[in-house]
Amino acid sequence: MSLVNLAHVCSHLQNASKARLGLTSIPVTKLHVALMLGLQKQGFISSVTLGGPAPPKPVLLQKPPKYPPALLKAAEQAELEAEEAATPEVAWGRAPEWSYKEVVPANPGQRRLWVGLKYWKNEPVLNKMHLISKPTRRIWVNSDDLAKITRGRESAFVKGLTKTGECMFVTTDKGIMEARECVEKKLGGMVLCRVI
Amino acid sequence: MSVCRPARCLFAKSSAAALPKPASSSQCRTFTTTPSRPARRRPHYPSVKAADMTYLKEQAATKHPDYAAVDEALLAQKYTPSQLAAIRAAEAAIDPRDLTLQGKKRNDPWKLPYDDDLSHVDGVIDHADKLHGPPGRNKRARAREASEAEREAALGLIVNEQLAKMYPDGLPADPTPEEEYQREQAIHAAVQQAYLDPRTSFWADDAAAWNSLADPRHSAIMQELPRIDSKVVQATATFEGQEVVDERQQRLLHQLGWPQDTNLRQKGFIHKAIVQHFVSNYTRLGKIASFYVLTIAGNQNGLLGVGEGKAVDSEEAVAASISNAYKNMKPIPRYENRTIFGDIEKKLGAVRVQLQARPPGFGVRTNHLIFEIARMAGIKDLAARVPRSRNKMNVVKATWEALTAQKLPEDIARARGKKLVDVRKVYYGGSIG
Repeated sequence: MSLVNLAHVCSHLQNASKARLGLTSIPVTKLHVALMLGLQKQGFISSVTLGGPAPPKPVLLQKPPKYPPALLKAAEQAELEAEEAATPEVAWGRAPEWSYKEVVPANPGQRRLWVGLKYWKNEPVLNKMHLISKPTRRIWVNSDDLAKITRGRESAFVKGLTKTGECMFVTTDKGIMEARECVEKKLGGMVLCRVI
Repeated sequence: MSVCRPARCLFAKSSAAALPKPASSSQCRTFTTTPSRPARRRPHYPSVKAADMTYLKEQAATKHPDYAAVDEALLAQKYTPSQLAAIRAAEAAIDPRDLTLQGKKRNDPWKLPYDDDLSHVDGVIDHADKLHGPPGRNKRARAREASEAEREAALGLIVNEQLAKMYPDGLPADPTPEEEYQREQAIHAAVQQAYLDPRTSFWADDAAAWNSLADPRHSAIMQELPRIDSKVVQATATFEGQEVVDERQQRLLHQLGWPQDTNLRQKGFIHKAIVQHFVSNYTRLGKIASFYVLTIAGNQNGLLGVGEGKAVDSEEAVAASISNAYKNMKPIPRYENRTIFGDIEKKLGAVRVQLQARPPGFGVRTNHLIFEIARMAGIKDLAARVPRSRNKMNVVKATWEALTAQKLPEDIARARGKKLVDVRKVYYGGSIG
């Protein structure tokens, strides 16, 4: 669990947000993946996709198969394909109901985690992201401390969540989750970062 | 052809009718500078009809009848013959018809506090009664230095006078030791007063003249002017210069689109110039100094504006900054109308301002500049830190930007795609917020 790399990710996401990027990539580790999924759950980012060095194709621009291929007979498939060739390719503004397979390089070193950033009213949704535990000084908190922190008080040398919409991510036995979730489940753990 | 001739003369048919006629008498050229009289002379007053006059007379007679014999007898019991004669003369001086037409009870704040009671002398309305002959006018009233015997007599009189003021009901019959002590103290004080009284040192043969020596109007120290207690009078009092219409305020109201009779102060709007200093522009001809003012304005209920003004004249600069402050007013989001939404931090130049939300009853415990801003905006609970530079102008600007650029929880929830529920509305039945 390298917090050095996590610090780089934090800075990178802040920079990408400031530059108003739509999609950016970070190195793949289990920690990063779990944290990104946590961020997505909290609504800071729009998508988390495993991919290669090139960005994945935007989902909405991909040609959607109309039905799951397994259900189709070969003859019908040929017929449908002919039909699809006649219809326009793009289905704008519709949520994708299909699953598609992104090409992930076999070499783990070439894999990247592609993160879609969000903007609202010309402002990034993810403004700031800072480490709390540092590589040289990790901070563990119990659920009581977390309860205080989420109420805006300082505890265990961690400043309270006093800003509007501030979130803190904690890595626990049950995975990475938001501080308030930990309080609900009475879990403690190592605090990772705070996100505004 | 004359240019003055009307065009219709040109286009008219040339016939006998179009020939120039002799001008009418009204258009006749006058040979004198005296203005001519209009045809019918109007009277200076409207003509009154006989029927109206009779009606008026009737009304006057019923509303203000003459004294009957019974009334006269009653009056004679109360007043002396000379007073009665004065009353009759006063009655005769006013026509009852005028009284009916014009007489009405005054309702303005400046009305006299009495109808006809002239026994009381009002310090504001009435003239003060005359001083009984300024010393030295006539021989009897002339004051001279008192002799030993006169001084003793005067002392006794004045001490008695003072004691009578302190004990209006007379001295207690059989005093307790405490009352005895108090009486001694009172006598001591009265004697002290008597020695300071000018009547002890000077004597006049005329008693009234002698008493008038103690009148405070003889004092070299200016008397305090009598005060008007009525709040209505104080509120409606107009002074010189106040009547002048403030053109700048009129323009400001016009620019804001508010009605011209808006009373900003009454609506809770206040402003204050909180930063003022001289600045100078260095040109090749020399320094040009001007006055810089930064004013904040607000309605103490969620509106706040910051305005700058710069001019060679300080008054101009202040006025410009005030109108700019009003024009720049913006709503400030406030949590429960008392504090801010979460902690805010803003950096402007070398100034960093940290504002923190606080619970109810905490008060505004901040830097004096931020205190004023919070007062104008109507923020009641706030803590703040200005850890780095404390440049006044930038502190104000940074605070103003921080307050206006607050992010609301609803907006954050919308941006993150979350559902937000205000539980206070559930617990307190929506009475909060």
